Amino acid sequence: MRPPPGRQQLSREFIARHQRTRIVSALAEETMAKGYQGVTVADIVRRAGIARNTFYENFSSKEACFLAAQDYAADEAFRRVVEAAAEIESWQGRVVAGLTAFLAAVAEEPELARICFVEAHSAGDAAKQRYEESLQTFFPLFKVGRKVSPHGEQLPETLEETIVGGIYWIIAKRIVEGKTEELESLQGELVEFILTPYVGVKAAKRAAS
Amino acid sequence: MTGIVVFTLAADRPANASIEPAPDYPPELSRLPPGRHGLPREFVVHNQRERLIAGLAEAVAENGYASTTIAHITRHAAVSRRTFYEHFDSKDACFVAAYDTVMDELRERVGGAFEAEKEWPRAIKAGIAAMLAFLAAEPNLARLCMVEALVAGPVVVERYDAAIQSLVPYFEAGRKGRSREVLARLSPTTEEALVGGMVSLISRRIFAGRTTELESLLPDLVEFALTPYLGSAEAAKVAREK
Repeated sequence: MRPPPGRQQLSREFIARHQRTRIVSALAEETMAKGYQGVTVADIVRRAGIARNTFYENFSSKEACFLAAQDYAADEAFRRVVEAAAEIESWQGRVVAGLTAFLAAVAEEPELARICFVEAHSAGDAAKQRYEESLQTFFPLFKVGRKVSPHGEQLPETLEETIVGGIYWIIAKRIVEGKTEELESLQGELVEFILTPYVGVKAAKRAAS
Repeated sequence: MTGIVVFTLAADRPANASIEPAPDYPPELSRLPPGRHGLPREFVVHNQRERLIAGLAEAVAENGYASTTIAHITRHAAVSRRTFYEHFDSKDACFVAAYDTVMDELRERVGGAFEAEKEWPRAIKAGIAAMLAFLAAEPNLARLCMVEALVAGPVVVERYDAAIQSLVPYFEAGRKGRSREVLARLSPTTEEALVGGMVSLISRRIFAGRTTELESLLPDLVEFALTPYLGSAEAAKVAREK
């Protein structure tokens, strides 16, 4: 007896999504081991335990798979940041909660983090463009601090760019060194680094503790 | 120093012109004839190596590192493929040499500018200014060492990371003689964050093709870098003064 059409469709969708995720994970793991340029589709399908056809049913190329991994990781990290900051009244409090969630996301998925923070620079123009966009996503979140700050108007125009760039560099370095578990312990210092230019060191330290 | 003069000349000349000799070399060396030319081997080798490095810089500027071939490099350098392999095992190896040459020049200029100032805040300003001036004057080399370097394999990426880290001591020097209150504001990662933030801004401008704007970033970068050590008012003053 054939299953009702609804159930069959759900199963196919579920399998497809699950398969995509498995392929993306496999790419992430292979990239960690070999660097993006060293990874082949053969490596990915072997790691994922799928047929080559199955890879190409899901992605047109290694690059397309990489971009999907990058999008998935970035979307997930930002979702966690927004969720963590959502209920919090003060801007400082939102920065603390958001940063904590972001560092946790990186530490929990080091292979995906490596794709976003390290490998993106050598994975082609589309990947580099996504990297640029991920940085830019944070600028408006920090710019709000200029309204909270007593001297918001005097702050350097590029302040948000250098703050976010600094955080990204610290994260990238820990990824390359295999020390992502240290990131949580840096939370206090990084909060101070972000908040001090806007609200001064005392308020920054208070928010960080 | 001569290497960078070769770069500048190479970057300046139109694509089809014959190669200008570097000022140190006699004019008859504008194009080394194939085979025997009676020149000291050491001299020829040095010249060829520099031309290959300059050739790589041009080829990468034109094609991006990934698409650059050895043929591109040798055409720009006006040397034979055999000569390429006398100097380098691979495209990657040639890139490493080019990267090291550019970075040596950059280090010399930044270090020189820093050392020339007696007071640390102005030394930092001078160092940053020297870096921005070099990158703005040589957009192809700026791209080479800050954008293409990340595509050129793990050896170069490691050098790139090390080069950024090598800026940290310039800023750590700012801790000397500060009050306990100021030192309490700083954390173990302060210098790393400052250096990472500045390099990020600079490299993103280069990636976006906005090298003409680089020197205008000086006041912002100086204020950002000095604020943790001097406070925002003093940092802004140093940043904006002529």
